[in-house]
Amino acid sequence: MLVNPDFVDEVKRSEEFNASACMNCGVCTAVCPMGIELLPRKLFRYVLLGIKDRVLENVETIYSCLLCRMCEANCPAKVRIAENVRTLRYYINKKVFKL
Amino acid sequence: MSDRRIGVYICHCGGNISDYVDVERVREAVQNEPGVVVARTAMFTCSDATQQEIVQDIKERNLDGLVVASCSPKLHLFTFRNAARRAGLNPYQYTQVNIREQCSWTHTDDRDGATEKAIRLIRAGIARTILTEPLEPIIIDTVPKVLVAGGGIAGLRAAIGMADIGISVFLIEKSPAVGGWIGRLEKMYPHGRNGRQLIDKLVDEVKKRENITLFTNAELVEKSGNIGDFNVKIRVSGQGDKKDDITANVGSIIIATGFDSYQPGAGEYGYGIDGVITLPEFKELLDSSDGIPARNGKAIKDVVYIYCVGSRQQPDRENPNLYCSRYCCNAAVHASLLLAEKNPKSHQYHLFRDVRTYGRYELLYSQSREAGSTYLRFGEDDPPAVERCSGGKIKVTVKDLLTFGEEVEIKADIVVLVTGMVPRKNGELVDVLKLPVGRDRFFNEIHPKLRPVETVVDGVFICGACQGPKNSAESVASALAAVTQSASILKKGYVELDPLMASVNPQLCDWCDECVKVCPYSAIEKGEEQGKEVARINKTGCKGCGGCVPVCPREAIDLKGYTDAQIKSMIDGFLKETF
Repeated sequence: MLVNPDFVDEVKRSEEFNASACMNCGVCTAVCPMGIELLPRKLFRYVLLGIKDRVLENVETIYSCLLCRMCEANCPAKVRIAENVRTLRYYINKKVFKL
Repeated sequence: MSDRRIGVYICHCGGNISDYVDVERVREAVQNEPGVVVARTAMFTCSDATQQEIVQDIKERNLDGLVVASCSPKLHLFTFRNAARRAGLNPYQYTQVNIREQCSWTHTDDRDGATEKAIRLIRAGIARTILTEPLEPIIIDTVPKVLVAGGGIAGLRAAIGMADIGISVFLIEKSPAVGGWIGRLEKMYPHGRNGRQLIDKLVDEVKKRENITLFTNAELVEKSGNIGDFNVKIRVSGQGDKKDDITANVGSIIIATGFDSYQPGAGEYGYGIDGVITLPEFKELLDSSDGIPARNGKAIKDVVYIYCVGSRQQPDRENPNLYCSRYCCNAAVHASLLLAEKNPKSHQYHLFRDVRTYGRYELLYSQSREAGSTYLRFGEDDPPAVERCSGGKIKVTVKDLLTFGEEVEIKADIVVLVTGMVPRKNGELVDVLKLPVGRDRFFNEIHPKLRPVETVVDGVFICGACQGPKNSAESVASALAAVTQSASILKKGYVELDPLMASVNPQLCDWCDECVKVCPYSAIEKGEEQGKEVARINKTGCKGCGGCVPVCPREAIDLKGYTDAQIKSMIDGFLKETF
């Protein structure tokens, strides 16, 4: 998987995306009522690392998030997870669906 | 029989001894040995209560010898010598018998054997004690001067510290200028202080003090004498081949010779490929760029750091550096913050094994993540691969454990190898000082917690990174610790040396000089006694090793505290009831 250093800039530019405090603990995945394994831990990791392909492969999953904020309430690093998911959707709306 | 009055105390050590040695049986076996007037057991002989009991016994029963059978004398020799002293008994009439490290702990599978061995060890201790005589420590006046070797941040700070206590300092530096590693740095973590300016400030302070004499291009080439009174020879290199030797008389020596940066081998993580550089090289590049740092005229944007290069190496390597170099995580994280500041468009990828930004440096780590650094973790047995690739970029491939073990490829402008600290190569200094080095080849202290700057060579102290990886703050802290320890000898004005040293019987000696050849401390010289040439022991040089005793063809040399008669009686004690 090739790192695309500019990808994170593209995402960040569109709005506020900040997941740098994420330490990969996985609490978010454990409490997710949808049982979505990718969100948000793995997803944010791909964004931060700039692995664009992996993010675009998972557009469906990104839209299946309920934005219930269960993960956010339990995040020990206080990452604004729902906000970040919204930001990503904004990016995908523009870049993938050309909305 | 003996007319000595000896007290014997046998320690349970709270089970450390008594779980394997039948302490009561031992007491019964030795209580009727010649000279013994009291034999007791105790749960912890080193406890205040038992020491008090010993003191009371010595006074009330008028004891003139003391034996404690407990742990290694390394632990409690001085404890019980002091107890003897408090009771008015000469401390050199005390014998410690080690029935823990050398008996109970080594024979946990043989209770009877251990008990039998303890009895014999104690009998020998009693036999030695019967032949003890009161000895007095040798008092040496100390010279109120110190030699500080090494003019980096630790050496400079130590020199100023000693000078301010009122002790004259000879400060020597091997290279043409003082300042060491710190003098070459601009911004340093965690406060952004400028290293060069820190050194300039210290150098100004050195210049202000008339009692500091600084020699650059100078090395310590000879050392003789003893704690409180060393003679040192300093070799100063001048123009061309000109060399001057300067001799000085000092009371103590502080070694602050620092470290070397680990130099990666060719091909180690791609070292040798254009753009693969070490952390000090990267820091120099950052420090020397006013605007956006560039390489080959191209702005540095994408950076990969590889951590633990030269540190925490695999044990199956040849001469591996097993230790963590302690400063490099912080230094690399700090360097990434500097780059982020100089080029906000940069992308930085840190390939680490473990991030050890300990204590308050943890904040740097958080800052760097906020500034856009991404951290990738690799396993020690799966290191990243570095190769040249098209367009002047360098391709780094790593299996990132934080991305669920997926293989990640990064194309970087430069790759920074986060290199650790290695001991400086100064074999001559080691030879001159006879200082012990550890398995990691750094200088060794006596006790890592309680005596962290003292060495086994009395009067020689170590500080800074010559002792092991340290950052500048830690180096200065240890330098000031060395100042305190050094001053505690020199300000008192005298030191007491153990009188357990060789003595020559001038009647028997006929100066064949056999002993001179074997003395490792050059402490024997030719003297005269009633018009006759005899060997004379230099009391400040003799360490009491006993090397000269068996080579003397006339048996004219005896070691005080361990005389031939004492050793023979100890052997008899060991072998009692055997033959």
